[in-house]
Amino acid sequence: MYMKKITIILIVFISVLSGCTDQFADFNTDKKNPAVVPGESLFSNAQKELSDYVNNTNVNINIFKLMSQYWTETTYVDEANYDLITRNIPANIYLRLYMRVLTDLKESARLINATDVVASQQAAKKNKLQIIEMLDVYIYSQLVDVFGMVPYSQALDINNVYPKYDDGAAIYADLFKRLDAALTNLDANSGSFGSADLYYGGDAAAWVKFGNSLKIRMAITIADADNATAKAAVESAAGKCFTSNADNCLMNYLTSSPNYNQLYVDLIATGRHDFVASNTMIDIMNSLKDPRLSSYFTQVDTSTVAGVVKLAYKGGQYGYLNSFSQSSHIADAIQAPNFQGIMLTYTEIQFYLAEAKERGYTLPLTAAQYYNEGIKSSFEFWGTSGLAAYLAKPEVAYATATGTTWKQKIGLQSWLANYTRGLEGYTTWRRLDYPIFNLPTSITSYTDIPVRFTFPVNEQTLNAARYNEAAKALGAGGDKVTTKIFWDKY
Amino acid sequence: MRKLTFLIACLFLVGLGLVNAQSKSISGKVISADDGQPVIGATILVKGTTVGTIANTEGVFKITLPGNAKNLLISYVGMKTVEIEAKNDLVIQLVSEDNLFNEVVVTALGITRDKKSLGYSVQEISGDDVNKVKSDNFITSLSGKISGIQIKNNTNFGGSTNVIIRGSSSLTGNNQALFVVDGIPVDNTNDNNSGQLTGRSGYDYGNAASDINPNDIESVSVLKGAAATALYGSRASHGVILVTTKKGKQANVRTMNVKVSSNVTVSQIDKSTFPTYQKEYGAGYAMTGYSDGAHPGLEHYADVNGDGTIDYTTPYYEDASRGEKFDPSLKVYQWDSFDPKSPNYGKATPWVAGANGPETFFETGVSTTNNIDISGGDKNSTYRFSYTNFDQKGVVPNSQLTKNNATFNGSLNITDNLKITTSANYINTAGKGRPSTGYNDNIMSSFRQWFEVNVDMGMQKKMFDLTGTNATWNRVAWDDGSAAYWDNPYWLRNNNYETDGRGRLIGYAQLDWKITSDLKAMGRFSIDTYNELQEERKAIGSSAGEFGVGRSNVTSGYSRYTKAFTESNLDFMLNYHKTISEKLDLTAILGTNIRRNSSESVYASTNNGLSVAGVYALSNSVDAMLPPEESLLQIGVNGIYGSVSFGYDNTYFLDATIRRDQSSTLPVKNNAYFYPSVTGSYLFSNLIKQDWLTLGKIRLNYAEVGSSAPALSVKDTYVANAPFSGNSLVTVPNTKLNSDLKPERQRALEGGLEMNFFKSRLGFDLALYKNNTINQLMPVSVSYATGYSSKWVNAGELENKGIETSVYVTPVRTKDFKWDLRLNFSKNQNKVISLFTDETGNQVTNLQIASLGGGVSINARVGEAYGAIMGSDFVYTNGQKTVSGTTGRYLKSATNDQVIGNVTPDWNGGISNTLTYKNFSFSFLIDVQHGGDIFSLDQWYGTGTGIYASSVGSNDLGNPMRDAIVYNNPNAATTALKIASGYAPTSGGTINPGVLADGSPNTVRVNNQNYGADGWAYNPNAKFVYDASYIKLREVTLNYNLPKRLISKLYLTNASVGIVASNLWIISKNLPYADPEASQSSGNIQGWQSGVMPATRNVGFTVNLEF
Repeated sequence: MYMKKITIILIVFISVLSGCTDQFADFNTDKKNPAVVPGESLFSNAQKELSDYVNNTNVNINIFKLMSQYWTETTYVDEANYDLITRNIPANIYLRLYMRVLTDLKESARLINATDVVASQQAAKKNKLQIIEMLDVYIYSQLVDVFGMVPYSQALDINNVYPKYDDGAAIYADLFKRLDAALTNLDANSGSFGSADLYYGGDAAAWVKFGNSLKIRMAITIADADNATAKAAVESAAGKCFTSNADNCLMNYLTSSPNYNQLYVDLIATGRHDFVASNTMIDIMNSLKDPRLSSYFTQVDTSTVAGVVKLAYKGGQYGYLNSFSQSSHIADAIQAPNFQGIMLTYTEIQFYLAEAKERGYTLPLTAAQYYNEGIKSSFEFWGTSGLAAYLAKPEVAYATATGTTWKQKIGLQSWLANYTRGLEGYTTWRRLDYPIFNLPTSITSYTDIPVRFTFPVNEQTLNAARYNEAAKALGAGGDKVTTKIFWDKY
Repeated sequence: MRKLTFLIACLFLVGLGLVNAQSKSISGKVISADDGQPVIGATILVKGTTVGTIANTEGVFKITLPGNAKNLLISYVGMKTVEIEAKNDLVIQLVSEDNLFNEVVVTALGITRDKKSLGYSVQEISGDDVNKVKSDNFITSLSGKISGIQIKNNTNFGGSTNVIIRGSSSLTGNNQALFVVDGIPVDNTNDNNSGQLTGRSGYDYGNAASDINPNDIESVSVLKGAAATALYGSRASHGVILVTTKKGKQANVRTMNVKVSSNVTVSQIDKSTFPTYQKEYGAGYAMTGYSDGAHPGLEHYADVNGDGTIDYTTPYYEDASRGEKFDPSLKVYQWDSFDPKSPNYGKATPWVAGANGPETFFETGVSTTNNIDISGGDKNSTYRFSYTNFDQKGVVPNSQLTKNNATFNGSLNITDNLKITTSANYINTAGKGRPSTGYNDNIMSSFRQWFEVNVDMGMQKKMFDLTGTNATWNRVAWDDGSAAYWDNPYWLRNNNYETDGRGRLIGYAQLDWKITSDLKAMGRFSIDTYNELQEERKAIGSSAGEFGVGRSNVTSGYSRYTKAFTESNLDFMLNYHKTISEKLDLTAILGTNIRRNSSESVYASTNNGLSVAGVYALSNSVDAMLPPEESLLQIGVNGIYGSVSFGYDNTYFLDATIRRDQSSTLPVKNNAYFYPSVTGSYLFSNLIKQDWLTLGKIRLNYAEVGSSAPALSVKDTYVANAPFSGNSLVTVPNTKLNSDLKPERQRALEGGLEMNFFKSRLGFDLALYKNNTINQLMPVSVSYATGYSSKWVNAGELENKGIETSVYVTPVRTKDFKWDLRLNFSKNQNKVISLFTDETGNQVTNLQIASLGGGVSINARVGEAYGAIMGSDFVYTNGQKTVSGTTGRYLKSATNDQVIGNVTPDWNGGISNTLTYKNFSFSFLIDVQHGGDIFSLDQWYGTGTGIYASSVGSNDLGNPMRDAIVYNNPNAATTALKIASGYAPTSGGTINPGVLADGSPNTVRVNNQNYGADGWAYNPNAKFVYDASYIKLREVTLNYNLPKRLISKLYLTNASVGIVASNLWIISKNLPYADPEASQSSGNIQGWQSGVMPATRNVGFTVNLEF
């Protein structure tokens, strides 16, 4: 009796349970992450990631505020001493830009392109693709400005895990083409991303100005290497670029995590006191009695007599040990969680135009006018008063400003006005060779100051053949920080 | 005590029930042939009947004989059953079973086999071996006791233990052994998050197999090779640790055995694994501070008392000890001068080293283990109930670990042919205040890396007790008491603690059916299920640190991680055994296994801090919570297997197995795979037949094992980030999945020789093996320029070959004295043969396992053993370390991709000695690891900050090394000219051994007055790679069995008391100030230390009573 029952039970069990594999595909389907998403969400994410990268001052990712000598470090001074290796900074730049931004932009474009829309949305769809294209150009031009050459034509293809490095000048040439095409195809009168565009709220007209401004920046960057291209580009774009601070490309951060400015994280949220004003910046501004000092930094009591307070701006010696409490700090407004992320500004463009004028390009205003407009808009941006008096100072006024060449005059003021924008400040110095930087403890010769970043160390192992080709293509210097990149002729 | 009385009463009742109304009876006595002692509890049965009794505490029995009674069967566990004619006044001698020659071991799927018939290596140890030392994790007790297995005893309180059998065979997968208890796979997940595993911050929550209760273990059998584990299927490819639990024993008469044991263990830190601090220089990063005064390191323009002159103040902010030289006559305002509740309020105190260093922070840990175990059985049933309570207080304040483990198993023969067995084990663990691990937010990384030796720990405690606030030594400034980097350790331990709990049920129901005498069937359903909760707290007022979802930096917060795990297995097995002829014996097995796993977790945390102090709830978040991290992993595997075993003449044995698995984690088109094994053995001692040779066997086997991918490696998805102003943010993940994955495959060849001489006085078991794992399933690293950091591929080959042996000797064996010696040795050679090669022939030669602090990484690198430590190296000139001619520091390689060490040890070994004299037994175990490297982030930073005793003392000139460098010509125009002028006899600084760039011996002094002299980025990583070898006195036990005559008066059958010590002494090691076994967690990321806990020395006292 028992036996029969058990036999039946066993047979039923086996027949029900053995070989039931039809749920297997379901088991292996991720139920907590989406498999289908709108391309716009990838675009928004890319914009945030890009702004986070550009604006942060994390020692693992973005040390350009040190490289530009706007700031220096207090106790742990490795990065101010150009240690790129310990924290794998070049690899982190690749990681941020290729992995977190460019891939998302590429996927966003693919999804938007593949989405059928009604006729009334066609123009907006087309505009979206042009805006993505412009951000691509923005990022690749930055990558070239940091490394000299990077994977470009073969990048972002997981089926080719050994992407070749393209020549920097060639990348720039292609970027100009793509930017022009995007500007041609962008319809200022149609919509685009709407609120999913975190920079301009989908305002296509604003993106037209952005594209033209970016074109001017790229043109001026390569002007020493390819004057003809630069001239044509600037002249074609000058009438369509930013016309005031209102056109600035900004990321309006929120007040709370994770949507606040990453600068707040590095300066405040971490509770660390790593960064202070550098003496390079403070000494120059002190000598100019630059009113923007109060917008840029805080004062510190420099009195050596007890009971007597002597507030002043004092920079930490660049690349040396510095006392946090005895050096000027970053101004409070900049440390606010919702301090705007700055991507591209009117101020910056005005200095490019001043420079373009000096290079003999055909432009409506004089170099001095552009120069003054640059300083003026900078004061405006920072809400600093005292502009007229400042412009009237003989060492500021364009005609009499210190310097034997326009490079020195524009270099200094552009560098001052581009404050907090590390890469722009660093590039200004590399391109115009002014202002004069200080030497940190690690180097003894001015020519040892890095003028580019080395390729990520993991490229040597993960993409060795291509890495070696690229190092060779950089010229005699090879993959060194002292090897000048193609546009850095002087 | 009342419990005890009750038990004794029960025992009596049982006894009375058995000895029922007697009319005609005989009596006798059962003694042991070995020592003449009575065999208490021996079973006496009238043959052919159910009439029986048991021998009393003097070995004496009385039994009533039925009319047809002829013979008695006298039996006892571990002794040979004797059949004897029923007469009065019998004296029966029982002889111990000769275990060795009929040694039965548990093999895959719980099948017990004659050890001599096996064609592969199995090593078994008794439950006693893992139960003597009471710890929170029985796995640690395996160390040194079994060859071929590498156990890494983490020093984390309640932490995870790394168990690798025969080397790592998977490049990125889980390399841990599989734990199987009574045929049920027991989950051994390590739930530590990636931030914890990579040494950033977090707690080590241990590995889940530590739930297995050592008190319940009858024996542990380790299946090392693929042939031994082939029937388990894919996940057993890293070896299996088979645990057999204690059960009640079937007996002809109902028995009941009660055991009670109690242990108290005290623990103290082993000071050789903790820093020794210098006591000469105080806080600061440089002696040349920020003023030009006489004491620049203490002059910070602070007029603390308002008297109009600058006062001396500590550079509170600077968490290093390279500042001003101590001088008791200097009065300095220190961290405790500013709180009105402080005894030093408003006072400047002498500039001296702290009276109580960080070593005084540790307390004495105490753990107690109490167990009761009731088991028994009768002719048709067995049962066992056991309850264990383990309670441990750690060596750091406010740490506690509690485990309750209750288990019941029983079997019942429903009919002669049908048996039901069930088992249920409920485990409840609760942890509180596990120590932090890693670099950030960890007191130990402060103690080992970032500290001011002027700080008095006693005063830190006092100030916490007085104020209840985070009165930290590491103030931001004299007039700003907020914590810069480090909190007051006492405040931290009492406020920022984690709690965790896991409730777990492991159980099965099994039906065994003897269909015919040759054919048996088994059906079993088993389940392992648990719910886990981990809560972490960071109180308002803490220093900022990474915390919670997204690891953003906050100064307070609360997070909770919940996980629900279930694994169920349904097994059916047919077993056919037939003696075909007198010499030929056949066993065939056919079975199926249906496995389902589900693991669901949610990790949520407050965002941007806590709103109200002291309320640890998600709702108390300052900002809206970030989206929680959720995961649901489901796995299904259906397996079918078969095996055939032939034995010929008890001399030749041949086994063959095959299994087919179908796994849900692989693409449907590739999800089924077969793998075979063949093993053979030959008992040559049956042919030689010499007296001295008790056993001689050679064996050989070959096996293949397939492995499937982790869940969710096939279909790409997107990842949603927190929305921005109502806009959803979505990103492409960093890893590209692969819809063409195929199973991974391991090919293993093993040979062995087993010999036993002079009836077990001497013997050894030797194994040689070679395992190659090919088609590794791995996310191979790719250039970031592809838009991904890794992509799943089937590629690569990892080889492990090795030799392992266990030797046993009994040098002395007399009536009263016995000395047993056991030796285990294993040497595994691991080599990464290849990684990923694409269609064009391009090869990936390095796979990064983890990128860790200090710029060091752990890698699989072609041509090297798994676990290459990479970082910056010295620059060598003619084989000598090269020193900079300007700074005197070692030059560093330009990049961090130099191989500077390897995690994999050369060999492991253990020697245990057991000395038995009458009722005393004494044993000790020495555990050895030779080779393997470790990078110490503690030394990398700690030597830099100048906290260690080794950072002070005299230089070659006899001057304090931290004195300033004095040149013969201090006024020379350049540093080079100064150096060229030579050094004054009064010069400080040290000379790094090595050569200058031109190959000449280095004479350039390095300045020791700031943090760049020793550690950190100014030196190559290679300087801080240490040999991880050790020799440890792992266990010492002294046990005394109370004489039977004495205990019988107490109604006991057995009683013993013992002293058990573990990790008593690290006899030798090369890593300064730390235990080379310490790491952040178990898993593939080893060979790197930051802020590790010191090891503890543990001494315990145990009492065992048996009724």
